[in-house]
Parts: sequence; C-alpha cells; structure tokens
Amino acid sequence: MTGKVLGVGELLREVNAVLAGALGEVTVRGELSGVKVAGSGHWYFQLKDATGTVSCALWASRADRLKFRLADGLAVLVRGTLEVYAQRGSLQLIASEVIPEGIGELQLAFEQLKAKLAAEGLFAPERKRPMPGLPQRIGLVTSPSGAAVRDVLKVLSRWPHLAVLLAPVRVQGRGAAGEIARALRTLGASGRVDVVLVVRGGGSLEDLWAFNEEVVARAIAACAVPVISGVGHEVDVTIADFAADIRAATPTQAAELVVACLEGQARRVEVAAERLHRAARRRLERLWLRLRALEGARGLARLPQRVRLLHQRLEHLAELPRRLRAVLAGRQRRLEGAAARLLHWPVRVGAPRRRELVTARLAVAGERLKALARHRAAELAEKERALAALSPRAVLRRGYSITSREGDGRPLRDPSQVAPGERIISTLAFGQLRSLVVVRGGAQARLFDEEAEHQQSGTASVKGARKA
Amino acid sequence: MSKETFEEALAQLEDVVARLEDDTVGLEDALKLFEKGVRLARRCRTQLAAVERRVEQLLAEAGEGEEVETAPFAPPEG
Repeated sequence: MTGKVLGVGELLREVNAVLAGALGEVTVRGELSGVKVAGSGHWYFQLKDATGTVSCALWASRADRLKFRLADGLAVLVRGTLEVYAQRGSLQLIASEVIPEGIGELQLAFEQLKAKLAAEGLFAPERKRPMPGLPQRIGLVTSPSGAAVRDVLKVLSRWPHLAVLLAPVRVQGRGAAGEIARALRTLGASGRVDVVLVVRGGGSLEDLWAFNEEVVARAIAACAVPVISGVGHEVDVTIADFAADIRAATPTQAAELVVACLEGQARRVEVAAERLHRAARRRLERLWLRLRALEGARGLARLPQRVRLLHQRLEHLAELPRRLRAVLAGRQRRLEGAAARLLHWPVRVGAPRRRELVTARLAVAGERLKALARHRAAELAEKERALAALSPRAVLRRGYSITSREGDGRPLRDPSQVAPGERIISTLAFGQLRSLVVVRGGAQARLFDEEAEHQQSGTASVKGARKA
Repeated sequence: MSKETFEEALAQLEDVVARLEDDTVGLEDALKLFEKGVRLARRCRTQLAAVERRVEQLLAEAGEGEEVETAPFAPPEG
C-alpha cells in the first residue's frame, strides 16, 4: 500500500475542502421531490432531473425567509454549497436559497396559500356574513397616514350618524401582516363596531403583500363582525379579498357600500312612513265622502239645529287632512333647508347641537300634529255613528211610530192634543195607519222622560185602524 | 340598541303599511294600525340617528376583556 493513510473523518474533510475549492457556491436547476420538513424546522428534499438526483438540505433559518412552500414537482433553482454528510458519507447540497422557476416567487406563494385556504373552506360562500342592517359603527384597519384613510373618511362623512374607530397599522413591510391581524382581533372583540373595513391604497404586488399573508386571511375569517376588504386598485385581488365577507374593489368603494346601506335603510323608512300617512289620509277622505252622501239623504235636511251644528263641525274636520298636509309640507321644507346647511364636513362647532335642537323640535311638532289627526279621525268615526242613530228612518225601523192629526203634519207629543172622535195618522217604518181616537190616556201614563224630546210621547187607544 | 330591533321594526312597519293600504280593514283596526305605524317609524328614525358622528383611533392594544382606549383622529391633509 502506498501513500498516506487517512481516517474516515479526515478523508471526508479533505473531500469537502476539495469540493469547496473546486466548485464553491453553485446554482442547480431541477425538480423537487421527497420534500420533508423535520421537527427542527429544517427541510430535506431531492433535486432531480432526467439524468440525476442530489440530496438537499435547507436549514430552518433560511426556510423562514421563503414566501412560498416547498412542494414535490416544483421546478426550482437551488443555490448552495456541496458537502459530504459525514455520518452517512453521502453528498448533499446545503441550500441557501430556493427560487421558483417560470413563475414569480410571490405569485407562487399566492397560488399556494389560496389553494390551501380554499381547500379548508375559508372562502366558502356559506361562510360569508351579510352587511349588518345598520352599519353605524365602523372599524377601520389601515395606515393612519395613507391616502386610503382619507378616501374612506371622506366618503363616510356623507352620512351624519356614523362613528369610525381606526386601528392604525402599517400596511406594508415586515410585521405589517401581524399588526393587521391583531387590529382585526382587537376591533372584533371590542364590541364597539358593527363592521370592519380593511383597506389599503394601490401598490405593487410586493407593497400589497401583507394582505396575501395567512395570518391576515385567518384573522379576517375569525373576526367577530363582518369584514369588508378594499385593497389596491380594481385589478388587484388579494387573499384578504377572498377571505373577506364582502369584497370591495377599492377603499373608496368599501366606504361607499356602508353609506349606501345606511341611505337605503333610511329611504325604506321614509317610503313606508309616507305610504302610512297617505293611506290614513285616504281613509279620512273616504269617510268624508260617506258623510256627504248621508247629508244628501232624504229627511236629514230637516234635522234639528243641534244635528246641523254637528254636521258643520264634521265639515270642518274633513278639511283637516288638507290643512295638515300644508303644515307638514312647510315643516318639511324648513327641515330640508336646515339639513342642507348643516350637512358639511367638518362640522362647525355648535352646529350638531343646533341641528339636534331643531330636529327635536320638529319631531315634537310632527308628533303633536299626528296625535291631533288621530284624535280627529276617532271623533269623526264616533260622530258618524251618532248621525246614523239620529236618522228618523233608523228610529222608525226600531219599531217606533210618529202620530199626527189628520190634515196636520206636526207630530203629536201629548194625548191632550187630540179629542176622542178625531182621526189620526201613524207613520211606521214601512207605511201609515189611519185611526180613530176613542179614549185619551192620562199624564201618569208618560212613557219617556223629558230628555227623550225628539221622540213622540203619550198613548192613545185606537179603534178601527185600517191601512192608509 | 340592537340592530336586529331596527330591522324588525322596519319589517313590521312595512307590514303595517301593507295592511293599512288594504281597504277592507275596518276603521277601528285602521286607526290602530296607523298608530302602530307611527310608533314604528319613529323607532326606526331614532335608531338611524342614534350614533353621533365621530372619528377615533385605538391608542393601545387592549388585553382580553379590557375596554379599548381611544383618542380623536383627524385624517391627514392632502
């Protein structure tokens, strides 16, 4: 045997020294296979092509910097140094960097995370929560100094009754995703917001990256209240958009969705209120028409003075709807004028207070008018019933009759007005009777007291009645 | 005031209006419906205006179950 005798370890150290000297850092193209991650966070895989295979290791400290996840079948470039792993005597490439081939690293990471979360069902339509009925308290997660916060607040200022709680965060760079996720948790748990807007102005894919990170997507899905995303320009789509309950194309549009919802709800209330009052007015007007018809009926014109007075009051009441409308229209015009003047951002000091006072006074006045209208309508209904009861025809129908002397239309009230032997005529509901008086009854036989003045009183014994 | 109450009140109001517009409802019932409708409309309007306009920002992170601290916020100029 010639030459130096070496220990195994020594040999490998020599080999490693030669490898480092001869090759140094290399970049190798191939396809990943047998990808495994150890409990330590180190990654192990084979890099293959049609003609060969080399084992690779990627230490945890380097693996953490990868945006995408190593997976079998990926075409990559691996940069690193070759060495022999002494324990096994096998050659391995210690990777310092792994770069996807043919597709950008960020794009790959995006596709990988999207596929993973979609498979978990995080983007499922049935998970999406609708806009709350009254989104008045708005959580806002964005940078306090960007254009987005300005755009959002400008749109939100269109609605006067809306509170904004901003969670200021960085929206790009290291740590931004963590801040955004924390802000979502804090706002959701605060109980002080109805909906959260997560927004950021336009930028490159790198600038928007925080919104493509898993922590943000999971925080959005886990948020206690519905989340609206508005990241970048119309063309930008982020993982946050997929995870959000409602996706807006831009920050401005996210704010517009909120304002449109509130405006829509207010409109629904006003439309319903207007229909309510119109229906009530139509009722009153129909009641009035029915009274006019009654007035035209035979006999009513000859009603006693008291009833006619009552009737005049009813006419007055029937004018009410028109007068109420005029008053309300005047108030409405004043309110709209005042509202137009007050609706400016930023609100002048003192203006909100004044507006409240005016609104409160208008509300009180409106309620008073409504109460009056209600009261009048009830009164009207009651009078209508009283009128119907007072009609002579109704009285006769109940079984009473009116008796008068033959040849004299005036009703008889007292037996002393006729003498035995005189002829009398009784008017019943459906015809007349002509009779001959035989005997007069006494005053003790009165049937009604004085209050029943409109009804006939007294009795008369009748003989020889025959149909008129 | 819960938001469910607003949506319920609004749905009830719309229901009341539809019934009042039905001419076969008697006068007594119509009056009752009108009063109920006026009450519901008032409740809806009150809730729509229940929140006062303000813009605040979170100051520090609140711990579990802690009340968050806030301060007024003015958007940057520009």
